[in-house]
Amino acid sequence: MILCRKDYLLLRKHCLRKSVYSNEDRKQSNKTDGANHAESVSSEKGEDTVSPVGFEVPDNPSVEVEEHLISEDGNPCVRSGEEMQDDTSKTSPEMLMDGNQSSSSSSNKEESDNSVLTHEEMPHKDATSVQQPSTEDEQESIPRYSSAGGNMENDSELSKDARPVKSSRTVEDFETWQRIIRLDAVRANDEWVSYSTSQAAVSREKAIESAKAVCLKDYEHLEPHRIHHASRLVAILEAYAIYDPEIGYCQGMSDLLAPLLAVLEDDNEAFWCFAGFMRKARHNFRLDEVGIRRQLNMVSKIIKHKDFHLYRHLEMLQAEDCFFVYRMVVVMFRRELTFEQTLSLWEVMWADQAANRAGITKSSFEKLRLGAPPTDDLLLYAIAASVLQKRKLIIESYSSMDEIIRECNSMSGQLNIWKLLDDAHDLVVTLHDRIE
Amino acid sequence: MAHRVDNEYDYLFKIVLIGDSGVGKSNILSRFTRNEFFLESKSTIGVEFATRTLQIDGKTIKAQIWDTAGQERYRAITSAYYRGAVGALLVYDITKRQTFDNVQRWLRELRDHADANIVVMMIGNKSDLNHLRSVPEEDGQAFSEKEGLSFLETSALEAINVEKAFQTVLSEIHQIVSKKALAAQESASTNGRSMQGTTINVAEAPTNTKGSCCSS
Repeated sequence: MILCRKDYLLLRKHCLRKSVYSNEDRKQSNKTDGANHAESVSSEKGEDTVSPVGFEVPDNPSVEVEEHLISEDGNPCVRSGEEMQDDTSKTSPEMLMDGNQSSSSSSNKEESDNSVLTHEEMPHKDATSVQQPSTEDEQESIPRYSSAGGNMENDSELSKDARPVKSSRTVEDFETWQRIIRLDAVRANDEWVSYSTSQAAVSREKAIESAKAVCLKDYEHLEPHRIHHASRLVAILEAYAIYDPEIGYCQGMSDLLAPLLAVLEDDNEAFWCFAGFMRKARHNFRLDEVGIRRQLNMVSKIIKHKDFHLYRHLEMLQAEDCFFVYRMVVVMFRRELTFEQTLSLWEVMWADQAANRAGITKSSFEKLRLGAPPTDDLLLYAIAASVLQKRKLIIESYSSMDEIIRECNSMSGQLNIWKLLDDAHDLVVTLHDRIE
Repeated sequence: MAHRVDNEYDYLFKIVLIGDSGVGKSNILSRFTRNEFFLESKSTIGVEFATRTLQIDGKTIKAQIWDTAGQERYRAITSAYYRGAVGALLVYDITKRQTFDNVQRWLRELRDHADANIVVMMIGNKSDLNHLRSVPEEDGQAFSEKEGLSFLETSALEAINVEKAFQTVLSEIHQIVSKKALAAQESASTNGRSMQGTTINVAEAPTNTKGSCCSS
């Protein structure tokens, strides 16, 4: 656990060191300081393989701040956080070498992996242990953790003029991610306040301190608790972009992280929890769209099997690809549900996935007559259910995909989460054999 | 059929809102269609759209405005929505130089994915933040002249020029459509072929050469 923290802190240090963004900020906002800082950064160039112990990052208050954030919270979500953390332990080199076994590994294995991880020092990882997640392996895969180390070697060049010439559809760089992360962080709302009274009551000084630690700007209009929240979003999302450079940062990821921050007050815990969450969710943000396509396809299949009449109507409108649920899939219903509803849905969804991982098979479930068997894709059944709830309206009144997109985008605040889950479970019971 | 119900307009024009993340596209849309503004509007995931019907040059025009995600990552998805668009508002943030520098890239994006005749207006948004300005209005003006675009600075927050921007684009589109319809009617009468009444979608006209019969 403590050593996991070390990994996280290491990622944070890399963020600050490679932060072109923060250098520019400093130069703009404080010219005298800017020169010094740039100098200190360039002097660190080439030190990427220095061991964590030997790390010295001048001008870097983040460690101190992060230590302040540690709390003995006994909140109810810690358990799921730990479960996820176990998941992240699969990022050990052995597992990387042996790509596709994530969901079948036993708990013993996970424990031993955990200890492997704690001895890992990310920047040291050998690039040869990198296994690119294959395109077919869309369910859960491991970020190219070790490649982050490789990337860092090139950071200073990448952030300068040595950047490769890009085509019109470019691969985004860390600098771009940093900019967009900050943009999204300062506009994150505070639906979460009732879930974390301590974070809601953070002092202005502390909030500003955490903002400075991640070089956040443009927060003057925000209240302290939102400044603090925004800073945490920046810290963790930046670290994740380093941790999983294939995905980096994509808008929508802050939507997924925000609820975790509300219930996990320690940045390190929140980071690993998020990394665990992203093992599956990262496919939603892939450039090649494989993950999204699979899921849209599955929603389409569920609708086709459940309600052929509706499916035919969608076909007529050339909407059978179910593109209209795109946003629901990408950010897992976060935009359509309230904060509390989101937590409920996600927890049910995670429970199903955990049951699957634990090997509760469908047949044993049926024997026990426990209702719907666990599925990795409960979310997709729920999304299909939300569309099916509107079937009459869609069939009778809608004559273009545009209208369905608008309908789906305006579901916000309209959904009854428990009815939705009931419907989703009914769909699982009747369809899982044919769909999965 | 159901879709006739909503047909109380002369033209339906599809407009896309494009530009970097955080320049204020969604707020320009909500200001125009609902007269609302949200300081903390969330990032757009994929595409969203809203409509508003208004009178332009004596015609009832329904503007269907598609708001797109600004991040590069989403461009593969959003660019699919350029199809059929007859107008585009290309937005940058006057306080963020980089968003202006990227305008060129967005134009290329339109050239690659949208109809060649699309009417493009460049918009420098957030004019209320004049004290933080990093793109002089003259720069925007000069660039738009060079590229042959119309140009306005707007403030979605203070509701300045948003209406005017859409009016300008829609009016320009309408003029093109009217001319085309006229030309089409003339050619139809000279060719002795019967034509459909109004062309709803200008952009599709050139691409939609339903070919062989017209070739003779």
